[in-house]
Amino acid sequence: MLRHVTNRILGQALRVPATPNPAAVGGAGLPRMYHERVVDHYNHPRNVGSFEKNEEDVGTGLVGAPACGDVMKLQIKVDNGTGKIVDAVFKTFGCGSAIASSSVATEWVKGKQMEEVLNIKNTEIAKHLSLPPVKLHCSMLAEDAIKAAVKDYEAKRSKANGKH
Amino acid sequence: MWKKKLYASKPSSTILLRTTELAKIQSPNSVSHKNTPILNPLLQISASYSSSPPFVREIEGEFFATAGGLFFGGSRFHKKNVNLFVKKKNSFCSESQSAEKLQCWNCDATTDGTTPFLVCQACRSVQPVNHSIDYFQILGVERKFNIEVDELEGKYKDWQKKLHPDLVHSKSQREREYAAEQSARVIDAYRTLMDPLSRAIYILKLENVVVDEEERITDPELLAEILELREAVEDAEDTQALNQIKAQIQEKMQYWCNSFEDAFLNKKYDDALGSIQRITYYKSAKEELVKKL
Repeated sequence: MLRHVTNRILGQALRVPATPNPAAVGGAGLPRMYHERVVDHYNHPRNVGSFEKNEEDVGTGLVGAPACGDVMKLQIKVDNGTGKIVDAVFKTFGCGSAIASSSVATEWVKGKQMEEVLNIKNTEIAKHLSLPPVKLHCSMLAEDAIKAAVKDYEAKRSKANGKH
Repeated sequence: MWKKKLYASKPSSTILLRTTELAKIQSPNSVSHKNTPILNPLLQISASYSSSPPFVREIEGEFFATAGGLFFGGSRFHKKNVNLFVKKKNSFCSESQSAEKLQCWNCDATTDGTTPFLVCQACRSVQPVNHSIDYFQILGVERKFNIEVDELEGKYKDWQKKLHPDLVHSKSQREREYAAEQSARVIDAYRTLMDPLSRAIYILKLENVVVDEEERITDPELLAEILELREAVEDAEDTQALNQIKAQIQEKMQYWCNSFEDAFLNKKYDDALGSIQRITYYKSAKEELVKKL
């Protein structure tokens, strides 16, 4: 059921052979479109979902790439006491690389301190997914989303602190 | 008689002229012997045109002495040299095209300038692609955003009747290449102008305003709206719901197309780019929706 839901969420945007077999491609020089990891994140998505936006321990990052029509939402749940990110979810509408980048981002931020995740670079995400040059901006989008989520949480916190 | 034969074939005539000139300089009396002094200028010429040693060797063997001048074994010469000379003429041709007077490469007729110079009106040869002719000119419509798309199909087909590759099977390799490129450009023109979004992007490009492919935005209002829209498409249960959403998207696209036109006419290119962003988002939402239908 989860798979069905996530397939609908991901909008079947990815047109790719179900099991890209590197061995079969061989010496024909056929360009493989998506790296295995990208396909993996698409077929087995992690952390798709939504937190309640107004909860005090939730930070929401909403970013977009208008030229491709991509929109990416990344949410973090933070332990107010320690400043550690205890959970993360994402929702992305766009190409497979954008979906995979945000999926990787949610995996990487979990269990880290907020200051730490600000150091996650798009180049690391791109390398992990072997993104081609034309898709590098998708990883930039994911880096932006992480930063936006942290910024949102901190803004909420300072507002809350200001009130007391 | 040999002269006639030679001048009939353009490629070798040029080399012959040069060699006779040089021969006159070198040995004014007679050229009736295979002499190295005469051979040298030939070798020099051949070296400047072709770097391949086999060619040079061939020249040595092909040397004929006649009363009037030098004569090369025509056919052998042709095969090796034809392409070189064709290329030279090519470079001449494109130069004259970039200047004001457009000239047919085949019959040298100049265009009268009334129709875009894709095909010569005199000899009907397909011309090489000239990028200074933009898509609006090719399809004979005014350079504005709100064009009559119904007119485009007829004009597009008229062009294909004149320059489609299938019509030039019996023509030269050169013309076949021109036909392939020119035909592809006309297809591009048609497709770009048919779709409002690509037309908008193209018309801005002609004003040197380029859409940044990698731009990222954080506008919360716009993004939240698009997110909601995409979620609605994803959650829609039946065809009726989908068609409702589709109608909403159409409305929005129309609104933003009008907004684009206003911005464009008033040269407010930032607003124009903003409109393009929105239209792009609605278009992707619509594409996902249509997949579900």
